[in-house]
Amino acid sequence: MMNSELLRKEIGRCVVCGTCRSVCPTTRVLNRETSCARGKLTLIGALSNGEIQMSEEYVRHIKECALCGACKDSCPNGVDTVGAFVAARAEIVAKQGLPFAAQMILKALIDPGGLKGTAIKIAGALQGLFLKDASAEAGLVSRFSLPVIGGGRLLPPLAKQTFLEMSRVKTLAVPIAQGTSVKKVAFYAGCGVNYLMPQVGSATLDVLERAGVAICVPPEQVCCGMPAYSMGDKDTARAMALKNLEAFEAYDVDYITTSCATCGHGLKKLFKELLSDDPALSRRVSAFSAKVRDITELLTNELGFIGKAGAKAAEEKVTVTYHDPCHLNRAQGIRREPRALLANAPSLSYKEMRFPCSCCGLGGGLSTTNYDLSIEISRRKAESIALSGAQVVATACPGCIVQLRDALHRYGVDAKVAHVVELL
Amino acid sequence: MLIDAVKKELQRIVGVEHASFSKEALLCYAYDATNIRKMPDAVVFPKNAEEVSLILKMANAERFPVVPRGAGSGFTGGSVPVDGGVVLSTERMREIHSIDEANLTATVAPGVITWELQQEVEKRGLFYPPDPTSLNFSTIGGNIAENAGGPRAVKYGVTRDYVLGLEVVLPTGEIINTGVKTAKGVVGYDLTRLIVGSEGTLGVVTKAVLRLIPLPESTRTLLAVFPELADAASAVSGIIKARITPSTLEIVDSISIRCVEEYANVGLPKAGSFLIIEVDGTVEGTSKEADEVRRVCLENRASSVDEAVDKKEARNLWKARRAISASLFRIKPNKINEDVVVPRSEIPALVSGISGIAQRRGLLIACFGHAGDGNIHVNIMYDGKDAKESEVAHETVGEVFKLTLSLGGTISGEHGVGITKAPYLAMELGSDAISLMKRIKANFDPNGILNPGKVFAGGHSR
Ligand SMILES: Cc1cc2nc3c(=O)[nH]c(=O)nc-3n(C[C@H](O)[C@H](O)[C@H](O)COP(=O)(O)OP(=O)(O)OC[C@H]3O[C@@H](n4cnc5c(N)ncnc54)[C@H](O)[C@@H]3O)c2cc1C
Ligand code: SF4
Ligand code: SF4
Repeated sequence: MMNSELLRKEIGRCVVCGTCRSVCPTTRVLNRETSCARGKLTLIGALSNGEIQMSEEYVRHIKECALCGACKDSCPNGVDTVGAFVAARAEIVAKQGLPFAAQMILKALIDPGGLKGTAIKIAGALQGLFLKDASAEAGLVSRFSLPVIGGGRLLPPLAKQTFLEMSRVKTLAVPIAQGTSVKKVAFYAGCGVNYLMPQVGSATLDVLERAGVAICVPPEQVCCGMPAYSMGDKDTARAMALKNLEAFEAYDVDYITTSCATCGHGLKKLFKELLSDDPALSRRVSAFSAKVRDITELLTNELGFIGKAGAKAAEEKVTVTYHDPCHLNRAQGIRREPRALLANAPSLSYKEMRFPCSCCGLGGGLSTTNYDLSIEISRRKAESIALSGAQVVATACPGCIVQLRDALHRYGVDAKVAHVVELL
Repeated sequence: MLIDAVKKELQRIVGVEHASFSKEALLCYAYDATNIRKMPDAVVFPKNAEEVSLILKMANAERFPVVPRGAGSGFTGGSVPVDGGVVLSTERMREIHSIDEANLTATVAPGVITWELQQEVEKRGLFYPPDPTSLNFSTIGGNIAENAGGPRAVKYGVTRDYVLGLEVVLPTGEIINTGVKTAKGVVGYDLTRLIVGSEGTLGVVTKAVLRLIPLPESTRTLLAVFPELADAASAVSGIIKARITPSTLEIVDSISIRCVEEYANVGLPKAGSFLIIEVDGTVEGTSKEADEVRRVCLENRASSVDEAVDKKEARNLWKARRAISASLFRIKPNKINEDVVVPRSEIPALVSGISGIAQRRGLLIACFGHAGDGNIHVNIMYDGKDAKESEVAHETVGEVFKLTLSLGGTISGEHGVGITKAPYLAMELGSDAISLMKRIKANFDPNGILNPGKVFAGGHSR
């Protein structure tokens, strides 16, 4: 994370050309300079110069952001806008602390399956309180919604049985036998899959089995730390990274895969940053991160899955389109792989939508801190999906799935949402 | 400073949530793409001409400046509130009112983003050609106020050529309609053309009727690489002489190539210069012209001429082209960005003259731009922390302008005068012309409340 001097330097590199205005999903909705990257950088700079205080308005503008990275991508001058925003959020947390509910949840996520006990215990309090509590204060969970029920929102309930508790998964909680000739793959579930969508995890295991690899699911795995990190709680994020590193080092594998775009980004890049302070750890994490592949990436580039037998067949092809998760597309550069999988599936007919890469609106804690803005951003996505005429929207991130389902429901678009692996 | 009563009244006119006085908001409306910053006292977001009119009437009564602002992408400080006052943002006026497919016109609000209008009309097989490089974020109102143009100007002209009529709120608050909704019209003085390019000093545009044309059937995009800038410049002359009218003809020098490749990573060749050339029209016509362009480039020592195989490749090339201006900051933290124009036949003389100046002064000067119409962006790079270099860079501007004028050119093709070029106005215009312009301004705006301090250096009527 940038320290204040680096932050100041990065802001100085912004030449205020305005290019980032054209891509910002929040600016498209709010139509204000204060919400675009150029405006935010101006404000962060003004705070560091002491021109303004960390006012309520300051905090609001900094949080009018999905951390989608589109501004960073578009910036001709290569300004690390997202890095600056995350650092600014951390400053806010350092000064104001995190809301109680967020603290509870983060604490719980440090343990495997930890959310379940806590969430159930505080479920009643959570459901009513959580939204209000979080929306008034600092950002909450970065990429995925938590199991809360708010007015008019469509949110998945917490799974009765988490992914890691499933009996099928428990049988995979052991190291892969030595001397096997096939590729050895460890699956990292992530909170979205574990708590909200175990079926996506199962579907991932199915395709991995069909791809003919040996699989294990280390039971000691915990949250990837991305939510804590984007909330500005670096210590918790670091503790999580270390736990995961140790959990996976105990299993000798060729690849570590995940079906969550956000976790994949965390595992590949964030761990390195968080553990870079210790040279020995740094070496270990490099070896770990080099093995990480998004599931679509693994299937397409490493396992030659396309064209393998056993694919779902159908009488009539289903029209499918694809939504690019920001954390897969912009953060990991993966665009071709999921499309190739979908386009080559015999039961599917692929159709591109108009704005596949525009953010669904969930990120940056927006869906909890500023739900109105978040769901308004997703309007464009919903329209884009409707226009494509697709019956199913595929994507590769549990967070996006939650948001897209809510958005399609809200805007009356008749299409189903699924993870790519559920369709193959 | 605005008194409380004025603030209250502004809130009443536009609604409480659409008038901001907080330091946070004001900081974000203090600049445009020049990075010159002056704090306003308020920023307001009116919804229509009536609200704009009430604001301007109050400004006359209370004597505070009002500065219109679109996307703040201007390159001459046009929307910077140099005297404080109220920034009038058009960000809430974003409606495309209508697209008339029978008469080929579009009626739009001033805050519509150029690209969004183009997307909408292209869906209907129509075309709005003006394409400032900032088109992804600049507004139609800003384009009209600056008479913006872009690569396509060589064949299709600039914003001015597509404005049929305007709804304008005069500085004194009257709402007038200029021009026509028809293809022709000669009744009275041409106020439309006077407002276009007036840099927000003669009125606030609140609606525009724009001319559309049919979308060309085919577009071919070529990239020609040259060992030297001079070769590319002579290829430009060659293409014009061969009686081809490309729809765009962009030139890029080696410094710009280096900077933008770092950003875009599209595999641009390391070279002295390249041209991006587009031809559009019928399928047969473009195929013939593309061949002809290829021949002329090769005759002028092009080391390669490639064609974009699909829309995506062409888009990538344009993405890189659009990023040049800002990516130049990778080599030096500051730049002076001029957009001079010379008659097309003088482009070789201009580029060699500038490279001479750069050498003599020991500066890096990057040149790129719309060679097809003789409009070259001259970017004098310097480090603002180096007092000496900074001084030399600023002195060089006058020299570049002198060279331009001696070649029969003009000192700004599209960015306007604003505040950054105001000191040089007299280099190009005679004193009689300037004084007529000042009289026009005084007539429109007797109290000098609308965008004061722009265009005319120092001696403003306020
Ligand atoms: C990277 C980059 C590339 C660029 N390339 C080009 C180019 O190729 N060609 C070109 O011509 N320009 C170019 N520009 C300059 C700039 O984008 C244009 O001048 C554009 O037209 C400004 O539009 P805007 O909406 O940002 O206006 P602003 O910058 O907000 O304002 C510009 C001027 O218009 C006035 N104004 C704005 N709205 C109104 C209104 N409704 N009524 C009256 N006055 C109004 C303002 O007072 C100000 O004087 C470029 C800028 C950037 C940053
Ligand atoms: S695109 Fe980059 S340099 Fe331009 S205003 Fe945005 S952050 Fe600043
Ligand atoms: S990260 Fe996304 S939402 Fe945030 S400022 Fe950048 S473009 Fe806008």
